Amino acid sequence: MPEVMSSEVVVIGGGVIGAAVAYYLCREGAEVMIVEEDDLASGASGACDGFVSLQTKTPGPHLRLAMGGAQFFHELAEDLEVDIEYRGCGGLLLATTQEQMKELRARAKTLKAEGLEVEVLTASDLKELLPEVGKEVKGGSYCPQDAQVNPISLTLGLARKAQEMGATILRGCKVENIVVTNNRVREIHTTEGNIHSRRVVCAAGVGSNQIGKMIIVDVPVLPQRGQILVTESSEPVLKTLVAGAEYLGTKANIEGLLPADAEAAKLGLGFTAEQTAAGNLLLGSTREFVGFDDQTTPEAMNAIARNALRYLPWVKDLDVIRSFAGLRPCSPDGLPILGTIKGIRGFYLATGHSGDGICLAPITGKLISELVLDGETSLDIAPFSLYRFK
Amino acid sequence: MHSGGTEGRESWRDSWEAAREGTVAVVDCRQEIPCNPCEEACPTGAIRVGPDICAVPRFDPRACNGCGRCVALCPGMAVFLLDRREDDGFARVTLPYEMGRRPVEGEEVQVVDGEGKALTGGKILKVRAVGGKAPTLLVTVKVPEEAALKVRGLRYRLIERDAFREADEVPSFSGYPICRCEDVSMERVKDILQAGLRSLTALRRASRVGLGYCPGMFCQSSLREELARAAGRGEKEVGAFKVRPPVRPVKLGLLGGENA
Repeated sequence: MPEVMSSEVVVIGGGVIGAAVAYYLCREGAEVMIVEEDDLASGASGACDGFVSLQTKTPGPHLRLAMGGAQFFHELAEDLEVDIEYRGCGGLLLATTQEQMKELRARAKTLKAEGLEVEVLTASDLKELLPEVGKEVKGGSYCPQDAQVNPISLTLGLARKAQEMGATILRGCKVENIVVTNNRVREIHTTEGNIHSRRVVCAAGVGSNQIGKMIIVDVPVLPQRGQILVTESSEPVLKTLVAGAEYLGTKANIEGLLPADAEAAKLGLGFTAEQTAAGNLLLGSTREFVGFDDQTTPEAMNAIARNALRYLPWVKDLDVIRSFAGLRPCSPDGLPILGTIKGIRGFYLATGHSGDGICLAPITGKLISELVLDGETSLDIAPFSLYRFK
Repeated sequence: MHSGGTEGRESWRDSWEAAREGTVAVVDCRQEIPCNPCEEACPTGAIRVGPDICAVPRFDPRACNGCGRCVALCPGMAVFLLDRREDDGFARVTLPYEMGRRPVEGEEVQVVDGEGKALTGGKILKVRAVGGKAPTLLVTVKVPEEAALKVRGLRYRLIERDAFREADEVPSFSGYPICRCEDVSMERVKDILQAGLRSLTALRRASRVGLGYCPGMFCQSSLREELARAAGRGEKEVGAFKVRPPVRPVKLGLLGGENA
């Protein structure tokens, strides 16, 4: 390795966001270097489910961002050499009380007005999509545009393709300092040597706050732990993504949809289920603020299992073979932080996706690549500016 | 739930005694993995794994008829037969043999322990094939009694001398599934390693090895060796699969407190 490296753009972080940014930059012919402290998808991108869920996005800019990005998954499924296991399977959001049902109905109206296809289903309507549900389930809403993807394959596929197009990937390379002179990024100091670069994209997920400190900018991203159970592989049993209304409540902080149980509320418990291409069921999940602790806990595992039995009682006979937890880069309002920094040219933020990283990765990659190379984006990212918090 | 018998490796004492009366199995199984062909092989019910497929087998030498089917079927080659009837300071040990050259009765061989170290000399008394379409050879060797419980294999001095030439002729095992749970071949692992992965967890993400039923109990050490070699790192540096509960598969109903 040469003592001083250089690159047109340096992307900090080898997760799904960094890989997507690198991929779209390379497609435009840019010279890119991904700097990753550990290895590709070693953080949240490798410890999450594969929901590409549109109906759980907040109406407004957030939903428009997600909808704008949905089309890219089809393209990527074609373009990447790795099978990303993309499936346009649709998604269900289940209500267990009449109040939740009412909330979902009102929400469906708003989502429809924004152009999303959403259908409100009664308990008997559900049968076609989900033959057996728990007694508590009163109905739900269905979005045929929801989809799933293998998050690890997506990350590795994007990175590999970027590499083929000329990107360099530095693994086990930690950023130690970012040198700014005359209000412009000049150099990145890493454990593997210095890199001359005038453009740096921070896609460091939960590490973004640390990176921000290097240029004296507070990037308000906190790690939020999400725990998930993995069952043995089984025959196809889930046609669609399935989530409980409480999942949406916890995620978007909607008063009427928060879990009633105090213990569940403390864990940020919300039901999610999907069946992966390999046949395993991923059952989630929690949203906890516990610092950088990424262990799974018996309390949460019990709670997730108990919750899953409420919605899908038949999962009781499946073996749980593993659990995992990932740290989601959580922003104060749960929306991503995208864009430039005031007073420092050449520094771009692509972080804070708060559990929507997989779904929003392609559109984030596309827009950040436009921002870095052209200085403007095809979709307005002003609502995601760092300065909305000030 | 379990009838008589002693758990796994602890049953050797009973086997040792019973071998004075006739041929009996010696079970040296220590892997708590989902595996029970021995139970299915046994016509008399002397070996039991029970409903928890990860348990180590329990063995009752009194019920054993010495047929050797378990020896042929155990995929881990962890069962042997022992016969001490002649009381002449020698024991007859029957081992599974799955190498290329068919042993011949009457040959003098070296017997080796579980680590491949030579123990002593022995004489092949009997060679028979057990099992249907793909039979396993069961080789009975006569060895001094004090070595009887340590014998795990045999080798020929002659072949040892020509080892290098022999090794060249061994067919490649790279197509063999190194991760049996997720059916990932060594060939694929080596292919993936070319990307420059640094840790076992990265390899797991990239290839699915260790993501199945046995969470990497079978494959982890072989993979670590391969990865360390490919990455030019130490075996400690490439780490281990992150250990997450449950250590063994558990029914979701049980985890969720149903009938708990």
